[in-house]
Amino acid sequence: MNMHSNHRLLFSVIFFGFIALSMIIAVAPAIGVENSMRPLPNTTPMTEIEKRGLGVYIAEGCVACHTQQVRPLEMDEVWGRAAVPGDYAHVEPLGPLSPYAPALLGSSRTGPDLTNVGARQASETWQYMHLYNPRMVVPDSVMPAYPWLFEVVEQAGADDVVVPVTGAFAPAAGQVVPTPDGEALVAYLLSLKQAPLVVSTTADHGEGGAGH
Amino acid sequence: MTGDSASVAGNGKARTGDHSRPLAVTKARLNPVADRDTGATRLIFAYLACAAAWLVIGTFIGEYLGIKFSSPDMDHLPWLSYGRLRPVHTNTVFWGWSSLALIALALYVVPKTSNRRLFSIPLAWTSLVLINVAVVVGDILLMSGINNGGQEYREYVWPVQAVFALGAILVAYNLIQTIAKRDVEEIYISNWYIVAAFLWTAVVLVIAYLPFYQTNPISESVIQGYYMHMGVGMWFTPLALGLTYYFLPKLLNKPIYSYSLGVLAFWTQMVFYTMIGAHHFVFAPTPWWIQTVAIIFSVGMLVTLAAGTGNFLLTMRGSFRTVARSYSLPFILAGVLAYFFWSAQGSLEALRTLNLVWHFTNFTVAHSHLTMYGFVAFLIWGGVYGLVPMITGREPRALLVGVHFWFALVGLAFYGTALMIGGTMQGMSWLSGAPFIESVNTMVPFWLWRAVGGSLMFLSHLVFAYNLWTMRPATAPAPAQAPVAAAQALS
Repeated sequence: MNMHSNHRLLFSVIFFGFIALSMIIAVAPAIGVENSMRPLPNTTPMTEIEKRGLGVYIAEGCVACHTQQVRPLEMDEVWGRAAVPGDYAHVEPLGPLSPYAPALLGSSRTGPDLTNVGARQASETWQYMHLYNPRMVVPDSVMPAYPWLFEVVEQAGADDVVVPVTGAFAPAAGQVVPTPDGEALVAYLLSLKQAPLVVSTTADHGEGGAGH
Repeated sequence: MTGDSASVAGNGKARTGDHSRPLAVTKARLNPVADRDTGATRLIFAYLACAAAWLVIGTFIGEYLGIKFSSPDMDHLPWLSYGRLRPVHTNTVFWGWSSLALIALALYVVPKTSNRRLFSIPLAWTSLVLINVAVVVGDILLMSGINNGGQEYREYVWPVQAVFALGAILVAYNLIQTIAKRDVEEIYISNWYIVAAFLWTAVVLVIAYLPFYQTNPISESVIQGYYMHMGVGMWFTPLALGLTYYFLPKLLNKPIYSYSLGVLAFWTQMVFYTMIGAHHFVFAPTPWWIQTVAIIFSVGMLVTLAAGTGNFLLTMRGSFRTVARSYSLPFILAGVLAYFFWSAQGSLEALRTLNLVWHFTNFTVAHSHLTMYGFVAFLIWGGVYGLVPMITGREPRALLVGVHFWFALVGLAFYGTALMIGGTMQGMSWLSGAPFIESVNTMVPFWLWRAVGGSLMFLSHLVFAYNLWTMRPATAPAPAQAPVAAAQALS
């Protein structure tokens, strides 16, 4: 039995060896994370509109430029406290076509980290203006505009949010109001606030000290 | 006197005429004769033609995306917005261009080194259709906002990626059956790499697309790091290397420097590379130990790199005149050097101190292009220019191959340099605690230079597509030449 001349042996070692390594470095740690995942105390599941907003966030590919990952580094302190696994516990798979948790941690910070954007930019109006055209509020921004998350109506209804669009950005006539997708995305962005980590006051690090 | 002055004038004329430096090095003509296996030739050419079409489409989209950084309001169409189009670019060049081109070359190399015909040509046509369907449908879905949860490089939803996987698995079956019924004793090292790429990628796709252990963003990130690294490094890397183990010795007409070094590089590739996916999430709230393991094995990859590159360069040693006179070997030389330098760069990026500066910046965009383009695409082109004339009997115009080479290389140099410098400055800006928008403003000139480099790269792809067209198989059957040859022999 020689690996150089026995293709069954060679390809079996290649195939099963790789499966074994993959189990050690990927599948087993992932299962470990699954089993230890707990939401932070005093946090609530995402609402329906926030979930829909997360769907828009993923569909539009916001993750191509925005992280939601504060690292335990001095340079990241501007975005909030360091992320812990529990911060992500309420995020669920989006549906049957994508039965995995959406990729929120991100790999590129062409735009700012959004972990805490709901606290940093808590104004709903600012968020709408920024999505309608980012250069309306941040002149140097290179973010895409998302006009399809809005519609221009002659006269906004009583319940509608009217986006204050001015100058060169304004439509020729009518008022700018968000579509349901636009409203959902802003609801999601405003929900992005880091929950405070409750420091245990008891000697043991059990759950007893965590709930107050 | 008059005679002297005439001769001087004559010399002067000669200097500007006969003695002027030629525009390009004269490349060796191959005067190839078409391969008799026209069925296989048509199949391989069809794969390459599709690959070239995806290259042109995919990099046109990439160029468009690059320009958007300088002009974000150039369109306001949802289907063309940056976030939706970016994965169209990456997936098109991954699954459409690189994969189809590498498979095309593998469909030649595996039968050739097994000393028999491909197991099934109709099966290979089926694979080509399946992979093309996956890329078309996947891209349309991405542009309409339907993706796989934004998971980088696995943005195609599972039914689409399943079609791609089926196509690839059928190729794997085809190749393994070819090797199983080979007419030589040993399995050549190319076939280790090529078959391994298929087996590993099948495992990677199954692990990446099973949902049970990735239901929250942290466990998902554990799998994502594994996937985005293995999807590249256990698919494109071994295919490109395996093909080079065939094309380099073949084109130089001498054996590979060390077969054993190739075997060493192979096994270290499998053991070291598999462990390093988590270096995409250094400092993330994923398990710290997998990050540390990833960093250690990233450094270990230098062994694999040195073994692989050293083997190729030592094979080329003493033959650099042959390399210069060939129109295919310069691509392979550039690809081999890129393999070493830019993979080593990847190992450096994993180190925590350097990761601090470069992670999340455009430096990583430079890295992915220097590797997938400088390494993989250049080795593909070397293989294409080395192989296609031999099977179709038609050579490209050497000057246009040179245009392709230099536009691609200079374009990539602009692209990589701009984003490496810009990305480093971006990271330094964050480290300095400056307002975030400063890091955006810092990038503005570098994004412009990136677009310049990208334009050259895109132009080179148009030239490549034209060159490929000039190498197309003759539509009339080759034996038509036989009577002419016979007539010449008689006269």
